[in-house]
Amino acid sequence: MESDDRIRRMEADGILTAAQAAQLRESLDWGAAYDESAAEQGGRSTRRHLSRWPLVLIGAVVVIGLFMLINGSGVESTAPQDVAATLNDPGGIGQMNRSFSGLLAIALFLIAPLILWMWLHNSLVQKEETVFEAWAQTESNLKRRADLIPALVETVTRYLRHESETLTSVTAQRGEANLAAALDELLAAQRATADIVGEDGESIVENEADLAALYAAQERVGQRMHSFLAVAENYPELRSADQFLELQAQLEGTENRINVSRMRFNESVASYNAAIRKLPASLVAGAGGFGRKAYFQADAEAHEEPKLAFD
Amino acid sequence: MRSISQLLLFVALLAACTSPATDDAELVIDTANMLDAEQRQRIATFHGFLLLDYDIDYRVVTAADTGDIDSYAASRFAALEAGGASDNGHGLLLVIDPVQDRVRLEVGYALEGTFPDAFVAYVEQRQMVPFFAAGRVADGILATTELIVNRADAAVSNAGLESEIRLDGSGGAGASTSARLGAGTESSYSDAEVSAATSPAATLARYFSALRERNGNPSLGIYTPATQRMLENWVTTPAQMDNVVRSYRGCHAETAKIHSSGRYAVIRYPIAERQCSPWFFEKVNGVWALDLTMLQRAIRFGRDNSWHFERGVEHPYVFAFTDWRLDSIGYPQARR
Repeated sequence: MESDDRIRRMEADGILTAAQAAQLRESLDWGAAYDESAAEQGGRSTRRHLSRWPLVLIGAVVVIGLFMLINGSGVESTAPQDVAATLNDPGGIGQMNRSFSGLLAIALFLIAPLILWMWLHNSLVQKEETVFEAWAQTESNLKRRADLIPALVETVTRYLRHESETLTSVTAQRGEANLAAALDELLAAQRATADIVGEDGESIVENEADLAALYAAQERVGQRMHSFLAVAENYPELRSADQFLELQAQLEGTENRINVSRMRFNESVASYNAAIRKLPASLVAGAGGFGRKAYFQADAEAHEEPKLAFD
Repeated sequence: MRSISQLLLFVALLAACTSPATDDAELVIDTANMLDAEQRQRIATFHGFLLLDYDIDYRVVTAADTGDIDSYAASRFAALEAGGASDNGHGLLLVIDPVQDRVRLEVGYALEGTFPDAFVAYVEQRQMVPFFAAGRVADGILATTELIVNRADAAVSNAGLESEIRLDGSGGAGASTSARLGAGTESSYSDAEVSAATSPAATLARYFSALRERNGNPSLGIYTPATQRMLENWVTTPAQMDNVVRSYRGCHAETAKIHSSGRYAVIRYPIAERQCSPWFFEKVNGVWALDLTMLQRAIRFGRDNSWHFERGVEHPYVFAFTDWRLDSIGYPQARR
């Protein structure tokens, strides 16, 4: 709501054109896409639940086996009890014990793989959830940075406009013209980001091409935001203003959060991807529908833009 | 049964021994050798009190060539388990890299609300870096801790620092900046001259006005000559000036009383206003100039920011306090 008011104010003051305002508003409207992705995550859980039917089947067999073990053989005799037939021979191995040991061995033979299967399955689920959690954190940080755009645009543009009006400074006028171009590029980059997240939602973590595209778009957003801040280099007064320091700190802090969450997301993806490829977990992963996750990084052909710092 | 009890006791003791350490060596890890033993001890002691009073586990690490200091701080925060000694997971980690000449204060999840990025950038750039530029690394760290204490104190007064859920670790919150180690102090003083007035109250008002404009010029006419000489060698930071203004905002001029004797005068606040220390003035060339030298020698502040006299220090302003008595530490009490 605050961003919307700010955009409306900037539009009324002529800082943004109607088209730019609409574009900025749309690019910040991640809420719906985010909710949809959350719903999709819920759907994924349902699919995972349905893919567990082999486990349920095996579990049922084992439960029946255990029931039989506890209650004797599967076919009940209706004959009167013949105690003598079941008595142990002196010095021999008791029939009752022999039967019990055999069933126990069969039960263990069935239960041990089941326990192993369940343990592997649960550990894969845990690792996958860690990936989703890490992605949610990354996405939240991307959203946080997007929310800073209106404040950044307003602070820098208003200052330059004030400079142009009061000092008729050529530098300020040139700076304002440069800002207009930088604003268009910033909005385009932010729009591209919103489109990718909006289209793919949570499933983006399984799409390498889309994640690489999102990474590139985010890098461009960061660069364009820094272009705005770079204008301050020419204006010591703006640069030393506490309000500007605050904005700069928020932006750099958000960028660092994105970096940290990206690093942790990639670590969680590496751990998960390694787990689903190793035997015997790969068998469980194959049956359980655990797919490979993508890294949030530039694709191999893209070159990394340099990280900027302002101080 | 007894052996199991002994085993449990042993495990408990082992856990106690290996729980997040809060001893001095863990609070200050000076890998880059930027501090001497006495400075390390002083910082550790101060940060020990921070943990005791505000439940904030504040670690300091100096390390040469950390690479990307932001990533390094996040990783080191996790490795050191900063915040582990706090009941609520309140952790801070200061990393200073003398090779890259950068500093970063990493803020744990649990303290992000109390110390937002903008505040951290402010204390780094407006308080810590000026000291670092003057080559006073330990003083820069401690001066910053003082502002952290003030902020924590305000948070405790408002809503408290405790949270419902314990949050461990950090997610990249905080700020980093150029440390400007030994770069020399910048004399960015205002050109405006501020002279002493014909009344102590007017001089004090002018002093606060100069501080609000962050005019840290030591040669302003509101100061006595001795004060001017003292301030020439001081690092006066914008954050310090802001802090003084903020601290005295709650000290009401109408409740203050002016006591004078010969060429000395004192502005004194009611004894109940513990955070409002008195001001000393000396008449120089017919106007009342602010004497900060005696203030510096005779007045001290406790951990809760309440002031007291340094016992045993003689000064010419005693006449203004004859109706008070001092306790063993030097805190003033009203005579009955």
